[in-house]
Amino acid sequence: MPVYERGYRPWEHSGRRARAPWWTIARRGIAEPLKSRRLLFLLAVAWVPAIVKGGILYFTFQMGELSRLIGGKWTDIGPRGFLTYLGWQSPFVLILLAIVGSGLISRDRRENGLALYLARPLGVRDYVLGKGAVVMFYYFAVTLLPVWALCLFGYLVTSGATGMQMLLLIPLQALAYCLVTGAGFTLVLLALSSVGQRTVFVALWWVLLYAGTDGLAEIMSLFSPGLQILNFPGQFLNAGIVFFGGEPLCEVPPAASLLVVLAYAALGAWVLRRRIKPVEVVA
Amino acid sequence: MEATKTAVKPAAAAIAVRDLTFAYAAAPVLQDVSFGLEKRAVGLLGPNGSGKTTLLRALLGHLPLKRGAVSVMGCDMARDPRGARRRLGWMPERGGILPGMSGVAMVAYLGELGGMPPTDALQRAHEVLNYVGLADERYREADTYSQGMRQRLKLAQALVHDPDWLLLDEPTSGLDPRGRVSMLELMRDLAAHKGFGIILSTHLLADVREVCQEILVLRQGRLLSHGRVEAAPPGATAQFLVEGFGDEPAFQAALRDAGLEAVRRERLLEITAPADAGARLVLAAASASGFALRRLQPRRETLEDLFYQLVDDADDARKD
Repeated sequence: MPVYERGYRPWEHSGRRARAPWWTIARRGIAEPLKSRRLLFLLAVAWVPAIVKGGILYFTFQMGELSRLIGGKWTDIGPRGFLTYLGWQSPFVLILLAIVGSGLISRDRRENGLALYLARPLGVRDYVLGKGAVVMFYYFAVTLLPVWALCLFGYLVTSGATGMQMLLLIPLQALAYCLVTGAGFTLVLLALSSVGQRTVFVALWWVLLYAGTDGLAEIMSLFSPGLQILNFPGQFLNAGIVFFGGEPLCEVPPAASLLVVLAYAALGAWVLRRRIKPVEVVA
Repeated sequence: MEATKTAVKPAAAAIAVRDLTFAYAAAPVLQDVSFGLEKRAVGLLGPNGSGKTTLLRALLGHLPLKRGAVSVMGCDMARDPRGARRRLGWMPERGGILPGMSGVAMVAYLGELGGMPPTDALQRAHEVLNYVGLADERYREADTYSQGMRQRLKLAQALVHDPDWLLLDEPTSGLDPRGRVSMLELMRDLAAHKGFGIILSTHLLADVREVCQEILVLRQGRLLSHGRVEAAPPGATAQFLVEGFGDEPAFQAALRDAGLEAVRRERLLEITAPADAGARLVLAAASASGFALRRLQPRRETLEDLFYQLVDDADDARKD
């Protein structure tokens, strides 16, 4: 059909409000992986520990001390018990974020999409915030949300739990912990994604950082326990003691672990600041 | 085609560029570029590496400028980049397709990022995809589009938020002849009938002649010329490149007898002849002199021709 027959009319504004750019980016980034059945399955599997813990809590209440002996740490409904639960979620965090986060920026870089975004009326902050919200969403989906659900369930089924603790204190502790560690994971993963253009390599680097340093630190700590500080996910977990209380999980003081987490976040932010540009300019 | 000085002052222009200077490391890419454009189709010409794409990037506010200022429809790019970018639609040469999305989803998404409410963006995405001729393919994954469809999709995403200006970077690059004609038709329609300002960056003079009323010529980061493109009447003379073997002096004498000029350019003869009967006269001269032609090729006007003409003019002016 010739062009003059197709017609074109200028945009007539409907008067509705536009979404914030970061929210537009985040919505798309969150919705796209959900089309994958494998990812939905992984998300479902990531909730299995929470369901198991919930079941044990229920039976502990029903059967008393006997099941407490069998259930061990799973029956702990104190703050420390929830940090232990978050530690169990570590493999899911590793895999899920590798799948969801690796390509968030690298694919845009490969397809010259960064410039396409930044040719629109939005800034680098909107872009990073939008992409970061995607990672945070999936991180919360397997950490914070199950904790909140368990808190509610624990309050309903157990006799020893108080409303103040289960409905306010622990959810807030979990929120603070997940916000800090989620921001750290997000900034590091986005930084890795901004450095590479091949998603598979970004995922590989993420796995090496996450699982590799875990294994390496275990070996190194045989020589000096303080070298546990090299354990990337271990430091994130140990920093949880600052929020949930209890004994440190390794030889590194929890406050130092929190500083390490913040340092990772700062490093990620610094890399992103250097890498997220519409044009790569050699200074 | 001729290039004449324009009278648009940067301050009063729809796009105004003043003393634009930018360098990658120590190498200057744009040097003191100043111009003002009215809302019309403007061709941005220059050979590879002349700074065309960099200039477009500077207009989008993508570059940390060493010096200079850009304003789009009165919005200063340094002070109000979002306002300025809202008035610009950019079609990149390289990439520009967001993977994993259908055509309509991608255009609607970029419309939203352009400041449109979601429902408006989706409606506009359908409209502009229909306009660029992708209505039937809009639900297909953009990754699977052919090169021609990709170029149309990139034009659609540049149009979706209804900007004042379109910055098109090599829009006919990689297109087959039919696709190129169709793309040129779209650009011409947008500029002539839909009220868009267009900056068309290309190294194809023919594309500029088809679409634009004005040209900017860049060379080594400097604005060599800014002028109007005036459609010249079909030339009275045309040039042919000839290669062959046989008695060349006799062939040249026969050409002179027919009133044609011939100049040797390395192994080719460049013959200036009347446009309407040039090829016939060359063939007749070759036949009469027994010169066997291996090649008879009309010489197309290239960007280099325009360049050399502009450079020569500049040199002549300096000498005077």
